[in-house]
Amino acid sequence: MQNSLKRMWALVGGVAAIAAILASTATAAHKAINIVIWTDSDRAAAVTKVAGDWAAANGATVQVVTKNFGDIRDNLGTVAVADAPDVITAAHDWTGQLAANGLVQPLYPSAAVKKQFPAYTLNAFSYGTAVKKLYGIPAAVENIGLVVNTKLAKVPTTFKQLETEALAQKRKSHLSFGIAVQQGSGGDAYHMYPFFSGLGGYIFGVNHAGNLDPSDIGVASPTFVKNSGLVDKWNKEGLISSKVDGATAQNAFLKGQAAFWITGPWNADTLKKSGLAFKVIQVPAIVKPSVPFLGVQGFMVTKFAAGHGVGGAATDLVTNFMASPSAQTQLAAANGRPPANSNAKSNDPVLRQFSAASKGGVPMPNIPQMSSVWGDLGQAWVKSTKGSGSTPAKVAFKTAARAIADKIG
Amino acid sequence: MSTPSASPQPPFKPGVIARSIAAFSGGPGLAIKIALLSLTNGLAVWAGVVLVDRSRWIALGVLIAATLAIDYVYLAPHDWTVPAKFMVPGTVFLLAFQMVPIVYTIEVAFSNYATGHIATKSEAIQQIKINSLEAPPNGKQYEMAPAHDASGKLVLILHDDASGAVSVGTTKGLTTLPKADVTVGPDGVPTRAKGYRVVKGAELFALDPVLAKLNVPTAGDAAIQPQGVRAAVELRPTLRYDAGRNRFVRIRDGVVFKDNGKGAFAAAANPKDELEPGWKAFIGIGNFRKLATNPLYRDPFLRVFVWTLVYALLTVGLSFAIGLFVAIALDKKGMRGQKLYRSVLVIPYAMPGFLSLLVWAGLLNDDFGVVNKLLHLHIPWLFDPNWARVSVVMVSVWLTTPYFFLVSLGALQSIPAELTEAAKVDGGGGWAIFRRVTLPLLLVAVAPLMIASFAFNFNNFNNIYLLTGGGPYTGTSSIAGSTDILISYTYKLAIASGKGSDYGLASTVGIVIFFIVASISGVSFYRSKSLENMR
Repeated sequence: MQNSLKRMWALVGGVAAIAAILASTATAAHKAINIVIWTDSDRAAAVTKVAGDWAAANGATVQVVTKNFGDIRDNLGTVAVADAPDVITAAHDWTGQLAANGLVQPLYPSAAVKKQFPAYTLNAFSYGTAVKKLYGIPAAVENIGLVVNTKLAKVPTTFKQLETEALAQKRKSHLSFGIAVQQGSGGDAYHMYPFFSGLGGYIFGVNHAGNLDPSDIGVASPTFVKNSGLVDKWNKEGLISSKVDGATAQNAFLKGQAAFWITGPWNADTLKKSGLAFKVIQVPAIVKPSVPFLGVQGFMVTKFAAGHGVGGAATDLVTNFMASPSAQTQLAAANGRPPANSNAKSNDPVLRQFSAASKGGVPMPNIPQMSSVWGDLGQAWVKSTKGSGSTPAKVAFKTAARAIADKIG
Repeated sequence: MSTPSASPQPPFKPGVIARSIAAFSGGPGLAIKIALLSLTNGLAVWAGVVLVDRSRWIALGVLIAATLAIDYVYLAPHDWTVPAKFMVPGTVFLLAFQMVPIVYTIEVAFSNYATGHIATKSEAIQQIKINSLEAPPNGKQYEMAPAHDASGKLVLILHDDASGAVSVGTTKGLTTLPKADVTVGPDGVPTRAKGYRVVKGAELFALDPVLAKLNVPTAGDAAIQPQGVRAAVELRPTLRYDAGRNRFVRIRDGVVFKDNGKGAFAAAANPKDELEPGWKAFIGIGNFRKLATNPLYRDPFLRVFVWTLVYALLTVGLSFAIGLFVAIALDKKGMRGQKLYRSVLVIPYAMPGFLSLLVWAGLLNDDFGVVNKLLHLHIPWLFDPNWARVSVVMVSVWLTTPYFFLVSLGALQSIPAELTEAAKVDGGGGWAIFRRVTLPLLLVAVAPLMIASFAFNFNNFNNIYLLTGGGPYTGTSSIAGSTDILISYTYKLAIASGKGSDYGLASTVGIVIFFIVASISGVSFYRSKSLENMR
């Protein structure tokens, strides 16, 4: 008995020793200059290539970790320091939340770099209640547009034309809606934004310091309320319906039932493959220009980089290398979006049409209070455009504005 | 149960457990034991190395103590460790997967853990300092090359892009260099400087921690700070930290930002004016008070609580009733196609719930959904608050019924036929027999499962979230919709409340849910004991 016990201790100890050796080699590996980058699966290959070029030229290594896009934002706050990334792929509207949490570092690209980017793309990544700072380098931009089936309808130049054409097509194909724009029971304030801005609504006003002001909520702005009767009219005639969800909208357009579809560059490939004759334009002005929300994606340096001893290296990679036109072209193309750098134009004709539809667009507010807006604004549209039994838009949007103000407090 | 020693010699047939215990006490058992113990120790050593690497000394101590204790329990030749041998694996998993999350949830519930309050205080102070830097008027940007001077000291060769001037920066200040002495590359970065050795290649990145501290003072409190390894920028602070008095002072106008005790530095005159980021701080029962007194959270909480109860009770009650009815119908002996019926009935249970829920959401769309199209109806299944509640319960019942069908079928078959026959002889009718004999006996087996199913449906996040997302929304509150149950309401609080996410408040609701479910289940189990006494 005693003998077998001794043998057992020896065995257990042996296995432990092997584990120790394995573990020490695993930890030794990350002592060199190594940049950990979190990105999504669409961009993983392009980021690996672009960052790899930089690493090879500078004697560093990069490790690309693939995550769901939204998880990058959520996990950054909870990750252990040792596993934390030095650089992340980010959407501009995360800027406020990440900066308010102290998770990302301000960047100071040179004037030569800055002037290669449209001002709004840099502004989209800037945040600060006291001193406004730039937290990200833009890489790609996106916005929705109105896709017109040119076989079924003429390309409208006024909203009245759009309305007439859409309703004619609705009657012809016995649809319950004219314009295929997605909402569903959950609502979709993003896809409805062109209508919202066209009627004179806005999300947050701008204060004297040039920052978005969360106490100035324009969801039921006087101009919007004055024009909200149009929403009730569209609801009555069936121009738009909140019962249309993403799949319904896409099917109706691709099957040639609906002549107008509001969507973004993520459907550019679907459109090209559909064989339909189409053109992408901005939704024609209603009482104000019907501008879309603008989304900018880019790269940020996290607070962890400095702790890992690679703060300078990560900053160099992001502000100097990833901002360059050649890197931008590759990074944007990987995700099917036009690049943010003005010197790196996309050659894709469909993407160029989407870019043209962005004229005058508004970057999605990047302050953390925006999380209180999406649901309510989307629901205001759902309530006022669900066909019979709808709430008058004036009431629905005023309710939403009050609820948002309550939540922001 | 009779005691085994009472009867003289019943033919003892060892069960599966007894046989496997017997198998494990011989050679194969020893081998398995060594393998598992070695694995445990191997994992522990690996975890130990990682903990040492991250300087987690307390965790390391706990790990070593626990591993030694486990080894001792399985290796020491004492009789008193035998019960522990059975307890240890379960205890380890209980601690890891139950206790740790519970303790963590409680800890978060008493903190202000939310967007803007996730860092530690020292991290927050550090970040406030970084965020407070601004470019002074006419602040300059430079292309930079770190270099060693003749004495080997690290300096910065700085090229002002705007004026083309080149200077050398040290911690003492800026000295202009003759232009002829410096070669500047095409990207503006100095590549050579007379009297200095410019650092290049991999060596550059190794300097990172040194460069981060190398600030070149200029006018006033402004300084040139390296940004990356090729650029530097002139910055000055807008806030001054006073460590002794635990506060920040705004340099421009002397406004004082004091630690407000709630995880932020706030201006004395305007408490809403906080410096970002704040930090995670203990705030006592603040979150519980908020839930109890703030109408924004309290009013939906009560409404949602009532609906959660109704939803869980209806789901369990209807599923059980339908499941039992079908089970009785299919319990007839010698029925044709019995197996086929049973298989078809189990399909909703066999399909992944996520899939069925998404399919149902499509089927119930009121303009384009199959349900309305087939039945020529125009019911707003997902757009009207009451119909949405009906839809949610209906789909839940659809998903839960097969479970109760299976359970009831099994329980029915375990009821001895003699009992029902005896009741028949005593002159009982079909309904009376069912109500007085079959149902009570059935409930003995099924009641605990109903309680479990109730607890499950009480927190059935998927059903709600995938079918209606909690909507439709009515009234003024947009945090909770008409079909939101407590757990989906909690989720919404956690991810979309006010200014980003509020994990503290969400954990508080989580704790309240725990007490609700625990007390309901406790009472139910206590009452179902009276059923068991009938045996």
